[in-house]
Amino acid sequence: MGLMMSTFHQKRIGKAAAVVMLFILPFFFSCSATPTQEGGQSTIDPAMVISFMKEKNAAVIDTMSYLECMDHRIPGSHCIALEEVDMKLSSSFPDKSRPLIFYCESDRCPRAGLAYKKAKLLGYESIYVLEDGLVAWKRAGYEVETIQRVKRAPVISIKSTRLEAFKKEKKDLFILDIRPEDAFKENHIDDARNIPFYLLHKRLKEIPKHGPVFVIDENGKRSFLACCYLINNGVKDVTRLFGGMEALVRQKTDKG
Amino acid sequence: MIKKRVSSTFLFFLVFLFFSGDAYPASLKIQCSDCHDSERFKAEFKNSVHGNTGCTSCHKNFESLDKHIISKEKPALISCGTCHSEIEKQYRNSFHSLYEDFKCYDCHHDIHTLKPEKEHFKIAVAKNCTKCHTNDEYALSGHGAAVMKGNKDSATCSDCHGLHDTKAYHTSGEFYLLEAREFYNKTCKACHSNKEMMERNSISPYAVKYYEETYHGKVQDLGYPTSVAGCADCHTNHNILPKSNPASTIHSKNLTQNCGKCHSGIHPRFAEYKAHPDYRDKKRYPQLYLSFLLMAGLLLVTFVFFWTHTLLWWRKVYWERHQMEEMGIKLESPFTHKEGIQRIKRFSIIDRIMHVLLIISFFGLVITGFPLKYHSTPWAGAIIRALGGAHNAGLYHRIAALILIGLFLYTLWRCFRFAFPRGFRKEGWRGSFARIFGPHSLMPNAQDWHQFKAMVKWFFGKGKPPTFGRWTYWEKFDFLAVFWGMIAIGGSGVTLWAPELASYVYPGWVLNIASIVHSEEALLAALFIFTVHFFNTHLIPSKFPMDTIIFTGSYKLEELWRFRTPEYERLVKEGKLEGLKVKHPSITLKIISSMFGHASLWIGLLFTLILLWTFFFA
Repeated sequence: MGLMMSTFHQKRIGKAAAVVMLFILPFFFSCSATPTQEGGQSTIDPAMVISFMKEKNAAVIDTMSYLECMDHRIPGSHCIALEEVDMKLSSSFPDKSRPLIFYCESDRCPRAGLAYKKAKLLGYESIYVLEDGLVAWKRAGYEVETIQRVKRAPVISIKSTRLEAFKKEKKDLFILDIRPEDAFKENHIDDARNIPFYLLHKRLKEIPKHGPVFVIDENGKRSFLACCYLINNGVKDVTRLFGGMEALVRQKTDKG
Repeated sequence: MIKKRVSSTFLFFLVFLFFSGDAYPASLKIQCSDCHDSERFKAEFKNSVHGNTGCTSCHKNFESLDKHIISKEKPALISCGTCHSEIEKQYRNSFHSLYEDFKCYDCHHDIHTLKPEKEHFKIAVAKNCTKCHTNDEYALSGHGAAVMKGNKDSATCSDCHGLHDTKAYHTSGEFYLLEAREFYNKTCKACHSNKEMMERNSISPYAVKYYEETYHGKVQDLGYPTSVAGCADCHTNHNILPKSNPASTIHSKNLTQNCGKCHSGIHPRFAEYKAHPDYRDKKRYPQLYLSFLLMAGLLLVTFVFFWTHTLLWWRKVYWERHQMEEMGIKLESPFTHKEGIQRIKRFSIIDRIMHVLLIISFFGLVITGFPLKYHSTPWAGAIIRALGGAHNAGLYHRIAALILIGLFLYTLWRCFRFAFPRGFRKEGWRGSFARIFGPHSLMPNAQDWHQFKAMVKWFFGKGKPPTFGRWTYWEKFDFLAVFWGMIAIGGSGVTLWAPELASYVYPGWVLNIASIVHSEEALLAALFIFTVHFFNTHLIPSKFPMDTIIFTGSYKLEELWRFRTPEYERLVKEGKLEGLKVKHPSITLKIISSMFGHASLWIGLLFTLILLWTFFFA
């Protein structure tokens, strides 16, 4: 009887130990440098970007606009804006087994994640996203590369609460919405004109140089550089929306 | 002819330079300004802040002058951080570097002609920042206007946002809310609690201190600033104006709208709430001063009276016990041992369940509420974190409050049924009056007064200890104190729970009073239970370490006879004693009672120690 009891107890202890190990083991593995799955995509940190570039010949792709990419990017990056992924990715990287790493301008930008989805549909086998984008890269202490800098200039930003008054003040205001086409279709302010940032350098002629120009972006983080680019190219009177379309929508929702 | 000679000499010189490579004779040393000869690089650079450094201090890695002359080589720019290393370190994590990729020279422009700042530094900063950041609000604000007038204390952009370390908490997006609020609240507080600075600017230096005494201040100090109003929520970020200014958000005509940003559906009188009052200031806040005085007085009188009563009682009981032990005196009893241990029912099952629920709700309220009262202590933060944050603590506090309110309402119903067992109409006043002041009632009567006097005499060795009826005077006090407690702490608690609705009943400053009453009454209740009630019921030498009667429901016949003789005699006379005889409590009930009782007792005593530590050392 005693023997039976002890065997029974041993079995139970063994089972309990197996369950405990099952919980503990993932913690051991989570410490090693492997990509983490977040929202269905593999995210990596800056150190892993470097190691993937060296060891796996990974292509690092800046998903922002051409102007932003040329202004500051991870050294050795390719400039393929999110909007151009369908068009350019396959021709630039015909080898579908080559690892691709997408990144964004900031930690609040969805472009790299969206590029990831597009690349997946195109049949690429190993795709990664740099978590928190260039901000994480810089925070980790790595340098960025500048190919053609957009000279910074003072640009006044207008808060969404002042927008209506500002529109009345400025006659013949050219409202330039630099968000992607689909975002513009979804919502935009009256009389706004959509020239997505990735096409700004190609469609510069469409923007009046002597009249006031008001630039709107997604969340206020991109319009500054677009404004600087316009100023450098002779546009005299440039202003931008503080907080971008997100701030405007939020203000309207709060009011509503 | 001369022209020809000059040009051929110049050509010869160039050819010489071309073929001589890097080996220039010492006499042919070329200055940068020989070629870069504009005013900018000559006179202006010399007078600039970097004028005492040479060109090659910044333009380094220069390999070949020949290549440079024919524009084939550009000297590389060194990082400004080579000299300004501390600033560079800060700047690398700033918003401008992380998100906008600004370089030093984007703000410090033009680096070659940069002059030492002659202007007042704060004005210079404001002017530079507002080149990009609209100054509509800031320029109009009290801070901005004062800076522009030359006030060196008033906050310029960099005082709140940092200079080279502007935080990545971009206010345009609703991200990093916690970090941003913590950071900006601290920034405001840093100056506004600086006594000297505030006094020389005729601003109260105590606004921060008093704010931290309010609900808003306490919750944010516990580490949950996103749940409550911080400085900028009421005063705004930039348009910060004194309340006398009609454009100010805290001007009386804008206050309702201002409070309404968070508290929807309020009556305009809600805005009469004082956001950071000094309730010790009787001139400005007489109602709050009086409330605080009354509560402090109540605490003082209650504790002086009961702690004295308890100490005297403890001393007397202990002393008598010692004497009996020393003299070998045994207490006499009219019962045989078997008769004496017969259990007599004292509390019904409903009484016992109610008390267990009361303990759970009381401890729930104390554990979730006291960290808010003593928000700045380390134990407060630890408890709130263990509970899963301020929101959860608040939720548990309200659940516990609902249990207590339920118990109170049920007790009221039971009181009514006690006074009018057959209903109000059938019973009439006469019968109920006799019951209310009868031997079963918890209503104090003349007998209690006599028993109290006898008790005090006994404390001083001037008489025998009194014997009691079904309820002693301190048990009656414990019971009736809950009625006062529920009015004070429950009424104020409900008010604070729904301040918006409360504003339809009374003005906003009543919320301030409710805060004082709720907080002080809570301290009174907790300390009273953990010291006076615990001693009277459990820690008295005859019952030490605890009396489980409230859980088991019965006590020994001998206890009834010895301690409540009149009650025993009444029961015998009325022939009710037999009906009250019950079985000895089961081992399971005894273990559960003991565990629950001890846990409650020791948690309470531990809490008392923590409170004492807080009063004297925190």
